[in-house]
Amino acid sequence: MSDETHAPKPYMNPYFAGFGLGLVLLTAFVTMGRGLGGSSAFASAAGALVTTVAPDYSATNSYWASFLGTNPFKEWLVFQVLGVFVGGLVSGLLANRTKLVVEHGPRFTRVKRLALAFVGGSIMAVGAKLASGCTSGQALTGGSLLNLGSWAFMMAMFGGAYGAAWFLRKQWI
Amino acid sequence: MDAPFYKFGLFGDNASLLVAFVIGLGFGFFLERGGFGSGNKLARQFYFRDMAVLKVMFTAIVTAMLGVFWLSRVGFMDLSQVYLVPTHLGPQVLGGLVLGLGFVVGGYCPGTSIVAAATGRVDAMVYMAGMFAGMVMVGFAMPAMDGFLSSGDYGQVTLAKQWNVSYGVLVTLVVFMAVAAFLASEWAEVKTGSRELTSQPLLGMKGLTRSRGLMLAFIGVGVVAATAGSPYRGHDVRVNEKELGQMVSRQADHVTVDDLAGRLIAGTNVPRLIDLREPGEFGRYHLPGAENVPMATLASAQWRADESVLLYSGSDAHAEQAWLMLKARRLPQVYTVEGGLDAWNDRVLFPRLTENPAPGEVDAQKRKVAVSKHFGGTPRGGAAPGEVKDAAMSLPPPPPAEVPAGGDAAPKKKAKKEGC
Repeated sequence: MSDETHAPKPYMNPYFAGFGLGLVLLTAFVTMGRGLGGSSAFASAAGALVTTVAPDYSATNSYWASFLGTNPFKEWLVFQVLGVFVGGLVSGLLANRTKLVVEHGPRFTRVKRLALAFVGGSIMAVGAKLASGCTSGQALTGGSLLNLGSWAFMMAMFGGAYGAAWFLRKQWI
Repeated sequence: MDAPFYKFGLFGDNASLLVAFVIGLGFGFFLERGGFGSGNKLARQFYFRDMAVLKVMFTAIVTAMLGVFWLSRVGFMDLSQVYLVPTHLGPQVLGGLVLGLGFVVGGYCPGTSIVAAATGRVDAMVYMAGMFAGMVMVGFAMPAMDGFLSSGDYGQVTLAKQWNVSYGVLVTLVVFMAVAAFLASEWAEVKTGSRELTSQPLLGMKGLTRSRGLMLAFIGVGVVAATAGSPYRGHDVRVNEKELGQMVSRQADHVTVDDLAGRLIAGTNVPRLIDLREPGEFGRYHLPGAENVPMATLASAQWRADESVLLYSGSDAHAEQAWLMLKARRLPQVYTVEGGLDAWNDRVLFPRLTENPAPGEVDAQKRKVAVSKHFGGTPRGGAAPGEVKDAAMSLPPPPPAEVPAGGDAAPKKKAKKEGC
């Protein structure tokens, strides 16, 4: 849109966005005694699907069985993730940053980008299950609690990302 | 008021879901504000062109770390009650590497993909679908990975405890490390010629910018932490006499042996059972699933505020004293077994049966016999089938220390779900 008032607003100063995020995380510690999460809601959704489609098989798999007899959507992190969606949408609307678009670098096609997004998401699920957490639950939450495993995770995550970045440069730059 | 509020029973499970939503709102809002709703912006982090991921993440870590440290240090918050994901070094390092790869391939991490999808990024929606598919696939392999996932177990441990350094000193170091990383990031952004000039940088401007002010505040608050000592609570005991008096008079402080027997058989609502007697007595007989915490070691034992603890000893006295000690440490859910093991022996293991029960009592009598046999005891007197009149009250062998199904599995599962 050419209208000046509808142009996307610049992002917040990263240090102050981080400060705000830190206060939200601190609120979670003070009220709940736990931190934030991102990947767990996906695991809950997967649990709901598998235990509904194949309840008999689920009982034989110790991982899926842990979802049986519970309501996977009545989970703290599921409600938190719903909040993340709404909070992100509100912020995006206020700054005119909501737009139906596929993000990719100038040298990459949209189809290839969508394929890699899907593959990347699947890889992420494996990583989150291995590490019992993701950027939110391990790096942010455990990082601020000086959790031994979370710091090891964080270093490995940045290491893995920088190590892989060169091979995927066409997608982004 | 004691924090964490939820762990000290200030609100319940249903209210906690509302809290979750509100906290999520803030999380999503600031992620989007920081630019994490854009895959392009996120990925540029890994080409040193826009270091927003690192800046936002480490500022958040430093903010929450300082907040947790000081709120705990002044006694407002009980840091031991904040959940730490247990460390499994091998799986977490491998998981981190895989996650890093997934981040660059997919362009998002789980939390940011939700924000990006909310603001219309189609690639983020596809990423979320991929993540869901991945979760389904990896679920089938989880039992096979059990051995690996539980390897490298360090338990719930902080860097301070692992390296045996003061928590406060570590807080200071992290603050300095973060500020150094910010300066290096800005230097890299200048080098790659793509620094975002709209944000207030730390480098290249004159005077006390807001960003610089924030960093100075971090350093100030962080440096004092080094000299502030441990953020953990000592065993300061405070008693709310009125509340305790009311609990005792309502008899809300204990559980009867019959009630306990029913819960143990059903495997539901089984609290953490603590046997306060000496190890020798504990070895001869204890309740199924009980842990041995002799009175002398009670003060140094670890408790979670959100678990319910059921204390017992031979008779009442020790359990009641221990109850008062734990109540003084402000654990909300502490109970005693009324009458202790004496009552357990008398009413559950070796119940007295009447010779000719009234018609209405027959069922109750049968139930007593069944319960007694379940726990390896013998009913005394009466005409129940298979009973031995006034049998010698020989105690059954001690059951295994852990209840295999109900007692152990439930808290383990809960702990897992507290993570990401």
